[in-house]
Amino acid sequence: MAEELLRVEHISKNFAGVTALDDVSFSIDKGESMCLVGENGSGKSTMIKIISGVYTADEGKITINGNQYKKITPLESMHEGIQVIYQDFGLFPNLTVAENISISELLSTGKKLVNWNQVRELAQSGLDKIGVSIPLDAIAGTLSTADRQLIAITKAILADARLIIMDEPTTALTRREIEALFKIIQDLNEQGIAIIFVSHKLNEVRQISQRTVILRNGKKVLDQDAEKLDIKTIEYQMTGREIDTSSIKYSHPAKTSQPLLKVEKLYLANGFFDLSFELYKNEVLGITGLLGSGRTELALSLFGQLPADSGKIIIDGEEVPIRNIFDATSRGLGYVPEDRIREGLFLPHSITDNIAVSIIDTLTTTASFIDSQAKENLAEEWIEKLNVKTPTGDLPAQSLSGGNQQRLVLAKWLAHNPKILILNGPTVGVDVGSKSEIHELIRSLARKGMGILMISDDIPELMQTCNRILLMRRGKIVNEFIREKTSEEELTQELVAIDINNH
Amino acid sequence: MFSKLIKSNEFLVLLIIIVLSIVIGLINPAFFSVATIYDILRASNVYNLMAFGLLLVVILGGVDISFVAITAVASYGTHMAMLKIDYQGGIWLYFLIGIAIGVICGLLNGLLITKFKLPIFDLTLATQTMLYGFSLFFLGATANFDLPEGMVGYYGKYLAVTQDPFIGTTGLHISVLYVLAAGIAIWWLLKYTMIGRGIYAIGGNREVAKRSGFNIDKITMIVFVIMGVLSAIAGVTQSGFQRNFSPTLFIGQNLNVLASVILGGASIHGGKGTVIGTFLGVVLTQLINRALILTGIPVEWQQFVIGVLLIIFIAIPAIREERNRKVGHTTELITEEE
Repeated sequence: MAEELLRVEHISKNFAGVTALDDVSFSIDKGESMCLVGENGSGKSTMIKIISGVYTADEGKITINGNQYKKITPLESMHEGIQVIYQDFGLFPNLTVAENISISELLSTGKKLVNWNQVRELAQSGLDKIGVSIPLDAIAGTLSTADRQLIAITKAILADARLIIMDEPTTALTRREIEALFKIIQDLNEQGIAIIFVSHKLNEVRQISQRTVILRNGKKVLDQDAEKLDIKTIEYQMTGREIDTSSIKYSHPAKTSQPLLKVEKLYLANGFFDLSFELYKNEVLGITGLLGSGRTELALSLFGQLPADSGKIIIDGEEVPIRNIFDATSRGLGYVPEDRIREGLFLPHSITDNIAVSIIDTLTTTASFIDSQAKENLAEEWIEKLNVKTPTGDLPAQSLSGGNQQRLVLAKWLAHNPKILILNGPTVGVDVGSKSEIHELIRSLARKGMGILMISDDIPELMQTCNRILLMRRGKIVNEFIREKTSEEELTQELVAIDINNH
Repeated sequence: MFSKLIKSNEFLVLLIIIVLSIVIGLINPAFFSVATIYDILRASNVYNLMAFGLLLVVILGGVDISFVAITAVASYGTHMAMLKIDYQGGIWLYFLIGIAIGVICGLLNGLLITKFKLPIFDLTLATQTMLYGFSLFFLGATANFDLPEGMVGYYGKYLAVTQDPFIGTTGLHISVLYVLAAGIAIWWLLKYTMIGRGIYAIGGNREVAKRSGFNIDKITMIVFVIMGVLSAIAGVTQSGFQRNFSPTLFIGQNLNVLASVILGGASIHGGKGTVIGTFLGVVLTQLINRALILTGIPVEWQQFVIGVLLIIFIAIPAIREERNRKVGHTTELITEEE
C-alpha cells in the first residue's frame, strides 16, 4: 500500500454567496500522478489555492504528511513540500537560468550576500536531478516555453517538493516537448514525488495520470483510475452533457472551377517552401504540423504580417499582392491568431470596442465621429449571434472566460465580413463545452459560403471540422487527407511519425 | 565570451565614444590631450553620482524625477544652516549634513511610495516640485556666494595637474574619487548582495519577486535612500565647483541624467542596467557636449544629437527582438531537421 501524502476532506468554499467548492474530498499518494480536470469555473483553481494556502476553505480539513490543518498558510504549505507551478512559471525574464533556479533557495537561507559559484552549483544540481541540460548563463526570457517550464520544475524540486501542482502545463508545448515533460514527470513519480495536473486537454489526461478527478460546478463527479476512462466519459462528466462528435453532416463543398483562394509556389525564407494549395467556398481546410513546421508562418504570410518572398496568392481568380495586413483585409481575409490574448484583443477595453475595432471606419457619423449607437448595435448583434456569455458589452474583454474571449476574437473578424477566414489554434485553452460550440460555429460559417483555413495540431478537432487536411513538415506540404478517407489514428501517426523519424 | 562582449550595450557605447573622439580629434587636434580627459571627467562626475542613484530606480522599474531637487535642498539647505553658525571649515561637514538631508528626502520618497503604493514617477514628480518649492520659499530665493574659507579652494583640488596650451592649467578633480567609490559600491550592491539581486528581480517581474519572498518595500526604501545620499553628494560637490549655492540647483537636468542612464543600456521598463554602462552613458553625453564646442557646432545641436542617439538606443533592443523573432522561426526549423 502506497503511503498517503495529501488528503482533503469535505472542502467547501463560497465567494460572496457563489459556491466554488462543495464538499470535495480526495487524496493523493506519494509518487502518484493525478489529473484534476474540469471546465472553467468548475472549482479546480480554487482547490489548488486552498491546498497551497492562498485561500482558506470555509469547511473541511487538509491532511499533509499526517499533519492535520483546518486552515493552512502559504508558508506551511510550502514547508510541507507543496509547490505550485502556475502558467506564467514564476520566472524573472531578465535573469539567468542559474539565478532563476537558485534564487528562492538563497532567499530561504536568509543570506545577505550572493556567492555566484554556489548559485551555479545549486542550479546545476537541480537540473541534474531532473536530467536536463539548459545553459546556466542563458537569460530566462530568451528561452522556449518548454525550457522555462523545466526551470520552474527544477525550482520546485530544489525546494524539496513532495507534491508539485502544475496548472495547464502543456498549453504552449509542442508534442515532442510534451513527451519529454511526461518522461520527467514519470521520473519524479519514481522518486516519490506526487504530481497534480490541472488540465483541459483530454488526450493528455489519459496519457499521464494514474488517476483522474473531475470537478463540475464545484462538486467532485468522478474519481477513477485513468486506465479505465475513455474520452467520452471524461467529456460527459466535465460538461454534464453528451458532446456529439461522430455525426457531423457536411454539405460537400461545391467544387467550382474557380477556387476562392489559390496559392502557388509560395516561399518565405526560413518559413516555408513551394507551397501550393486551393481553398474552395464552403470548405474548411485544415493545416496541421508540429510547431515549427511553418504552419503559423503560412498564416502570417497570407495575412500580410510576414509577407512571402515569392510565389502567387490568387483570390477569386485574380492574383493579388499581399504586402501588408491592409492588403489582406481589403481582399476579404480575416485572421484569428493563436495568441488571442496578446494579438487578438484589447483586454482592458470593453467587449463592444473589441468587436467594433476592425470596422471602426464604417461606423462613423457624417461628421466623421464614431457613431456610438451603431457601434453598440453591432456589438449586441454579435454577442447574441455568437452566444458570448456576458451581461453587457460594456465589460472589459478580460472579464470573459477563455472560450468567450475566443468567440469575441471571432466576432471581431466576422463583423468585418471576410470571404476567407484563417484560424490559428481556434480552441487552444478553451474548455470542452465551448470547444464544440466553436467547432459548430466554424462549420456553420463554412456552410454560409466562407472559406476557412484552420491551423491546428488538435487531431480530433481537425477531424470534426475540416473537409480536407494538409500536413506540413519542415516548411513543406507533405500530405493531404480527405476527412472521410482517413482516421484520427492515421493522422496522429503521420504527425508523430515525422517526429520519430527525425530522431 | 568575446562575441557576448561585442553584442553588449556597453561595448556599443564605448565604440561610439572612441569613434566620436577620433572624429573630433581630426577636426580639432587640440582635443587629443590629457586635459580633455580631465575636463570631461570633471564635468561627468556629478552627473555620474546622480546617474548611479537613478540607475537603481530604473532597474527597479521606475523613474525618479525628484533627485535633482534633493541635490538643491541638501546643498542649499546645508549652506544656509552653516551661514547661520558662521562655519568657516572644510567641505566635509557640508557632505555630512547634506547626506543627512538626502537620507531624509529619500526616506520621504520611499515611505510615500511603499505605504500608499504610489507609482514612482507620479510621486517623485510631486516631491520634486515640493522640494524645489521648499528650497525657494523657506531657505532663500537667490544663489549665495559666501563660501566658508575652508571651501574656497575646493574647485581646484586636483589629484594631478596638467598644463594644456588651449585649456590652460587643469587637473583631475578629487571628486573623481567619489565617483569611483560610489561606482564600486553600487556595482557590488547590484552584483553581490541579495538586495541588489532583489532590485533586478523586482524590475523583471514584480509579482514573482513578491511571491519568491523579496521584501519589496524594504528594497524600495533602500534604493531611495541611496538615491538621496548620492544626490546630496552631487549637490554639495557641484556647489563647490561653481562656488555658489543655488536653491534651484540642477533644475531641469533630471531628464538629461535619465537620458544618460538609458544610453548606458538600462531599460526604462526595469530589470536591466549596469554601472559601467551608466558611466559610459554619462561620459558619452558629456563628450558630445564638449565635442560640439570644440568643433564649433552651435550648442543647440547638443540636445538634437543626444536625442537622435537616444532614438537609436531605444530602437536597438526593439530591432534585436524583432530579429530574434525571425531567427526564432529558423531555429525551430533547424531543430526539426536534426
